[in-house]
Formats: sequence, structure tokens, C-alpha cells
Amino acid sequence: MRSAVRRASSGSVGGRSIQVLLIAAISGGLFWLVWIYGNALRDPRYLDGWLLAGGMAAQVYFHVARKKARLSPQSDMRWRKGHIFLGYLLIAAFISHSDFSLPDTAFEWALWSGFVLVALSGIIGTYLTWSLETARRIDDGVTYDRIPTRRGELAKEVHDVVATPDPNAAEFALPATPHDAWIADLYSTHVHSFFQGPRNYSAHLIGSRRPLKRLTDEIDSLTPYVDTFGQAKLAAIKDLVAEKDRLDFARVFLGLSRAWLFVHVPATYVLIVLTALHVLVVYAFSSAAWW
Amino acid sequence: MRRPGWTRLARQPKDGNPAPPSSRRDRIATRLALLTVVGIAVAFILSNNMQFLMPGPLASAHGSIENCSTCHTNSGSGKLSWLHGLIAGDRHADSTACLGCHKMPDTAFNAHSASPDVLKRSTDRLAKIAAVTPAPHAARAQRAAFPTHDVAMRGLYCSTCHQEHQGAKFKLSTISNEQCQSCHVVKFDSFDGDHPKFENYPFRQRTRLVYDHEGHFGKHFPEVAKKDPARRIPETCATCHNSGKDRRVMGVASFEQTCTSCHLDQITGKDRVSGPKGVAFLALPGLDLATLKKKKATIGEWPSASEAELTPFMKVMIGRSERGRAVIKAVDRLNLQDLSRANDAQIKAVAALVWEIKGLFYALIKGKASDVLADLTIDGMGRLSASLIADLTASLPSDVVIGAHQQWLPNLGAEMAGRMEARAPEQGGWTTTIKESRVAVDSGTASITGSGRREAAEPRTEVESSGKAATDPPDSAARKAEPASAKPSKETAAADAPPRTKAADQTDDLLFPTPEELRATKSGAKDTAKEAAPRSADAAPDHGQPTAPPAAAPTRADTAAKPQTLAAPVISIKSDVDPENWAEYGGWYRQDYAIFYRPTGHKDKLIYSWLSLSGPKAPKGTKSPAAAVFDALASKEAQGSCTKCHSVDDLGGKGRVVNFTPASVESKQGRFTQFVHEPHLSVMDNRGCLTCHSLEKGRPYLKTYEKGNPQSFVSNFGAVKKDLCQTCHTSSMARQDCLTCHKYHVEGATTPMMDTKNPIE
Repeated sequence: MRSAVRRASSGSVGGRSIQVLLIAAISGGLFWLVWIYGNALRDPRYLDGWLLAGGMAAQVYFHVARKKARLSPQSDMRWRKGHIFLGYLLIAAFISHSDFSLPDTAFEWALWSGFVLVALSGIIGTYLTWSLETARRIDDGVTYDRIPTRRGELAKEVHDVVATPDPNAAEFALPATPHDAWIADLYSTHVHSFFQGPRNYSAHLIGSRRPLKRLTDEIDSLTPYVDTFGQAKLAAIKDLVAEKDRLDFARVFLGLSRAWLFVHVPATYVLIVLTALHVLVVYAFSSAAWW
Repeated sequence: MRRPGWTRLARQPKDGNPAPPSSRRDRIATRLALLTVVGIAVAFILSNNMQFLMPGPLASAHGSIENCSTCHTNSGSGKLSWLHGLIAGDRHADSTACLGCHKMPDTAFNAHSASPDVLKRSTDRLAKIAAVTPAPHAARAQRAAFPTHDVAMRGLYCSTCHQEHQGAKFKLSTISNEQCQSCHVVKFDSFDGDHPKFENYPFRQRTRLVYDHEGHFGKHFPEVAKKDPARRIPETCATCHNSGKDRRVMGVASFEQTCTSCHLDQITGKDRVSGPKGVAFLALPGLDLATLKKKKATIGEWPSASEAELTPFMKVMIGRSERGRAVIKAVDRLNLQDLSRANDAQIKAVAALVWEIKGLFYALIKGKASDVLADLTIDGMGRLSASLIADLTASLPSDVVIGAHQQWLPNLGAEMAGRMEARAPEQGGWTTTIKESRVAVDSGTASITGSGRREAAEPRTEVESSGKAATDPPDSAARKAEPASAKPSKETAAADAPPRTKAADQTDDLLFPTPEELRATKSGAKDTAKEAAPRSADAAPDHGQPTAPPAAAPTRADTAAKPQTLAAPVISIKSDVDPENWAEYGGWYRQDYAIFYRPTGHKDKLIYSWLSLSGPKAPKGTKSPAAAVFDALASKEAQGSCTKCHSVDDLGGKGRVVNFTPASVESKQGRFTQFVHEPHLSVMDNRGCLTCHSLEKGRPYLKTYEKGNPQSFVSNFGAVKKDLCQTCHTSSMARQDCLTCHKYHVEGATTPMMDTKNPIE
């Protein structure tokens, strides 16, 4: 069991499968527990409601602990994994608490929407983390804040590559070959604008590499018609284009990685307020079921 | 790079360095949370009621409820008064509010709303089944983790099963199998699964009507058909049975539609071979007059020829007062016709009984039965209504009692007047009733005139009860009258008086006196009145007239002589029919020294009301007057033969009940199982009712009615088997959830009329 947990927390494919199975099993167990609780002349909404509230409190504690920097980096990692794991279980608890049905009053809709927003944003955040780890398309050391600077550096680098004259041409004083003009044309028509800012946002969002391929195909299609020096230039440009594309990807995903928290955390705060009122209302109208 | 617009909500730090994203995020979150609080507060302030806090719409039946406090009793009508609900109060207050509209017994919060006794019995029975049926793992886990016993013991809430706020279309009464299985130690996965087999279903309780199907089909019907082919015999089950208006209980058609052709004559007594055909209601019981005389008992006049017995009805009527009960108790074990071994106290009690009987007759003549018996109770039962007393006396006509008085006790008026005056301070009982009405005694004839009766028809002399003659005790009056009496040994108040004989031309039937009789009575009364007038005037001391001798012997002598003609009016028409047969179709008649009542037919009011009233006060084996009445009317040989068909349930200390009312949904309350016949009628095969109810010969059906236990029953029909129900009730065909056949609220829940005050200005 311990090894299974270790594997589950390791993040491998097998570990993830175990995680999914664990979540499914615990959720099933929760549903069963609520079912027998309800069959025992008790209102099951109190059981799954308090399980939900307890879980939410643990999730909030994670947020507070991180904010107060109480967690060591190792603990932080463990807590993050626990946060995600518990989050999935809370979805099961929420489904049970809402009795597998949609709400039908304004206040319930507000509560429902709050939870769904928090849960969905959490799932998206988890997915982003996972997809980044899986795709490994972000270079080491790249952070969201450094992307504009690095993009500027790349633009300059590609300009320098294009502008570098052929040393052999100067040595033999031969008239300028048309190859340079073709490369300059490629640069001015395709490459320059590509390096001027973030590009292909939507393609990166869906993980498509088609825009990059189009551009590299342009470069590749020119390669047979230039000399060796030109080919070296084009190869350098291609590398820089690829790096710029990774930067764009990194910008999209690192941006999203930040943005989802701007939904997740405020929605959580609102949900806490609504939950507190919900608990108050429930017990005020509980017909003394809890005394 | 330009920041997204929504991030500008976050405040920029003063030092110009951009704040970390987490800090901006938290600021946004905090402000949003505050905004939520403000929004909710605004919603509170602007809202008209608390509806927006509702977890969901109410079921349509409760849709008109607008105030939360209607059901949530702690929640007031103020904006924040709902917070009162957080304070502990009565746990069942909200559930009690439900009972405001849904009427239920006091045991509403018990499991099944049943009494603890019923629950215990059911649990014991189910525990036996549970002992041989393994409980599923889920049930064991539930019992271990969340035991229900304590929850049920504290009393269940209505909301335990009926969860509101589930929407207008939600059926609040829907209960799942699992909810039923919360408590039940035996868990059945389904009806066609492990559900136990039926035990003698549906014959847990015997039928209210005693009807031997086997005897009728095998013996009575063939005999009747042989004897009288024209007589109608039921051809199908539906001739006698129908599922009633409510389509739930298989009822029996009315008596008139079914049994009357053969059994009506048994009720009216026409078929009776021996014994009186009527019920002896009032009688002058035969007494051992020789012994009474020997012991100098003062009883006034009494017919020596009577062999009648004190009727149980008279016991109840006399026993309505403490003194009467004491008298009845004292004489109950005596043989009134042989008092040779009676001691003085018993002799005294017999004398008191005589005066009670005379008082009863006197009162019934003086006033209406409903007035006289207004304080009649049956063993401590509450006061009876006038209409009920009318039923109990079958509107006994006064002429019947008057006729009896004239023939049996012609001097009753004088005797009672004298006794009343002599013993007024110590007398209760009938005297009280009598004194309330104006006493009008014709001292000359000693006939009694009922107040409001005959006064206009005939002048008479009324002697107030203070008259000297009347003040004499009856025995002294009798002694004084003895020498002057024409028939002293017969008519006057001598214990050894020989029996008075009827006039040859007198009829016993006084139900409808002939005009001749009436004329004779009137003229006699008139003559006596005329004769009595001066005497009466003389007897009144305050009139200043010469006072008559204390016991006017000539007057007594006259009195003794005259009643014979007055009491036995001359009847010119001799009836060829004896009174009993004269009342062939029911009603009152007089024979010998008793007034009889012959049942008028099915549902006879007199017999029905006496049985209904006396039953609960007549536990089996008791000797109370009520028990005597019940035993007399419920015996095998009783007139009316009610209990021949209507079974008698012995309720132990709570008396006995004759099952007059047919089975109905209401009468089946308290049962855990229900069956609706109607939906099953169309699925029977060509054997019809016999598909489920097979007639089995040789079963001791009638024996089960010999005792009073309604739970002990052997039907003419075989029990319905579970296998039969399973032909349809399977998972793939008809429903098989618990509530298909079982009900939770065994005592039912009704919605009473609203308390609406009349719009009186």
C-alpha cells in the first residue's frame, strides 16, 4: 500500500493510474457511506456536507500556509499534490451533497456556481501543470517574467544573423549574390514580424504546431537555392524561430498557469462566504435535527 | 507590456515595483468576498421575504405556504428572526406543526406511528424471521456504523422520510425500500428475492360476519333450492361481494340484497320454534309473596301469578342510581320466587326492588321515556342523548305501560303518591323524577295521569302529594283499605294477594288500544274523577273543609273495588290472535306480566343500541347489569339473532363488541399490510375469485367464532401463497417495492376540516 502511494505521488503514468483508481475508490466509498447513512434514518446531507466543508477547510489551509510561507519546498510539493488529490475527492463529495441534481434557487445556484468555478479552475490548473510536464516544451530557466526580454534577444539575434555578410564575398570582391536578397526577403516578409511579439496564441493553447511548421517550411523551401553560407544562415534562423515558438508557448502556458489562480483563489473566497451563510441557514432551518 | 484590464483591480505598490501575482490575487479575492457579503446584505434588505434562502421550491401540496415559520416554528416573520432556529428548542416542534394539517394519533413520532405494544409484537415476530434469514453485509455495516435504534427511540421527525424543498413535482410520500430497511433487521433485496413466505395471509383476523361458505354451498343452498326452486340463491361471488366504493376492501352486499330471503324470519322471530319471540323488556317479576307476607315486607299490591323474571333492561334502568345498584346487587343472586331462605336484609332488598319497579312504571307513565331515563347511564358511561334513549326504548308507547299498570298494578298511583310523601326526604331514584313533574293522582281510582296527557280530555281531581291519605305508607294504607276492599286479597297491597285475573274481554295487546278501550278508560276515569272530586276537596286540609279521616276506609274500599273495571277495560272485540303473533312484524306487546319487544327486522334499533352500548361495559364473565343485557341479546338463542351472523370480539377488560359495521379502509387501520382488490380483478383467470381463494372443505371455520379472540381464525378458504403473487410481482413485471403491499403510517394520516368560524357579525 505504501509503495502504491509512493508510486502514486511519483507522477509516473503508473502512479497516475493508481491515483485515479484511488480517487474513484474513495469516491465510491464516500457515496456508499452517504447511502447507508441516509438509510439509517439520518439526513445524508449533513454527512456529505460536513465532509465537504472539512475538505474545503483543508484546501483553504493549504492556501493560507503557502501564503504565510510556512511550508518548506518539500512540504509544499507534498501539499500541492495532496491539494489536487483532495480536490478531486471534494468534487465527489459535492456531487453527493447536491444529490446528483442541479440547484433550483438563486442562492443554491450561487453556491453551485462558486464550487463549480473553483473546481473547474482547479482542474484547468492541474491540467496545465500536467501538460507542461508532459510536453516539456519550455526551456529550463524560462520564467513568465523573462519571456519579453528573451524574445527581444532572439529578435536581435535573428536580425544579426540575417545581416551578417558573407566573408567569402568580401574576400573575392565578387558581386553580391541574390541569395542574401532572398534571405532578407524571407526575414522581412515572415521572420521579422514573428519575432516582434507573442504569436500564435490560439495554436499554442490547443497545442498545435502548424504555424511553426509553416514558417520552417518556408525556410526549408529556400535552403536548396542558397550556398553553404546561406544554408548556415537559414539553419540559424530556423533554430531561432523554433526557440521563439517555444517562448510563445511558454508565455501562453505560464500566463495561463498564473491566470487560473486569479479565478481559483477569488472564487474560493466567495465560496467560503457563501458556504458560511449556507451552514448558518441550514442549521437555522434544520428542524432541530442536529440537537 | 500592457496588463490585462482585470489585473488592474489590484493595487500597485507605492515603491513602483510590481506586486507579486499572489498578492494581487489575494487582494482581488478579498474584495470579491467583501462584495459578496455586501451583495447578500443588500439582497436581505431588499427582499420581501426569506424565499431566496430556500433550498428549493416546495411540493405542490405545500405550494401555498409562504411563511417559513408555518413549518419552521422557530423562524419568525422578521428578516433575521430565522436565526432563532439556531437556538435549541423542542426537537419535535416542526414535526408537530405538520400534524396541524395531517391529523395523526399521539403515537405519530413512533416508528410506523404505531403504539409501543404493536411495535413490540411486530418486532418480536420479525425477529423470529430474522433469525433464519442472513442480513446482507451492507445492512450489517449500517447497523454497526449508524445504529437506528436510538434514533427511532428518540422519536422520528416527519422530515426523516418526507424531505421537502425538492420541487413542485416531487412526491413527498415516496419512500424507498432502503428507507424501510433502515430499521428492519431483515433486509430483503426484493419481493421475489428473500421476502419471507406468507403466513396464513390474509386470514390473520377473522371476518366480521360469520358466514360459513362451505355450509352454504354444500348444504343450505342445495336444500333451499330443493325446497323452493323459486327462491333466489347466489350464483356468483359478485352476487354478495363487491370491492366497495373505495375499491380497496372486498365488501359484502347489504343484508337486503343477500341474506334477507332466508334469514329475515329468524330476526323477527317468525322461525322461532320455542320461547318468546320478543325480548322481555319490562316485567313484574314473580315473587314469593307468602314469605314476604310472613316477614311483613311492605310491598303494596303485587300480582301473585307472575312467573316473570326481572329483565336485564330493568336492572340497568333501576341501577342507574347508587341505591338502585345496591338493590340490584342485593337481589341478584336471590330466587325471587322462593325467598324462604332469605334473611331480613334480603327481604328488605326485595321490598326495595318492588318499589323501584313500581317507581319505574310510575315514572314511565308520568313522563316521557327520554325524560325519565335522561340520567340513564350504562356502567358509568356518559349521559345518553334523547334520541339514543328513544332507540334504547324503541319509542315505547305510553299506552303499553299504562295498559300494564291498569291491569297489573291498578293502585300504583295511590301507592306511589303515598310513598312519595311518606318517604320523600330519604328517597331518590324515580321519586326525584316523579317529583319534578306535577303529581296528579286520582285518589279515587288510583290511576296515574301523565303530565300533559289527557288533562284536556277529562276533568279530574288532583290531590297534591301532601294529602293525608297519600302520606300513609302503602302498607298501612293497604291495611286500612283491607276490610273495606271488595277484593282485598287480590287487588290491594297485601303480600299474599292472589293473582289478579284478566277480564275476559280484555286484550293483552295495548300497542294499539281499540276505540272502545279508550272510551271505556275515559269514561271510567271521568266517573272516578267526578266521584273523587269532593273527596279530594275534603282531603285538602288547607281548604278549610272538614278533614277527612286519616285513612278514609270507604274511599279505600271504593278504590279497591273500582280498579278492576278500570284497569281491565272492557273490550268488546275479542282478538283471535295472541299478542305475540299480533306483533308479527315487530314492536311492543304485552303478555302475562311482561312487556315484550319483537325485533322489527334487520338493524333493529333497540337491539342494536343495547348491544352497542352494553358491550364495552360487559367484559365476559362479569355480572353487571350491562353484562346481563349483553348476554341476553348476544346469546345463541337471543331474539333478533344478531350474533348468529355478526361476530363478537372479546376485548378482555374493555368488554365485548358486536361487529355490526362492515370492514372498511378505516377498520383496517393499524395493519401493516394492505391489498387493493380492484387492480387484481382483471388479471384473474377463468376460475375467478377461486384463482386466489380456494375453498377448502372440512376446516373448523365456525369453531373460531365460539371464542372471542378475533385473531384466532380458520377460514373456509386456503391462505394466499407468495408464489401466486410472484407470478406477476417480479422485477420484470409488476411493482415489488415495499410500499406496494405495506404501509408505513399504519394508523393513517388524515387532513381535517379547517377551523373556519362562521361569519357572524
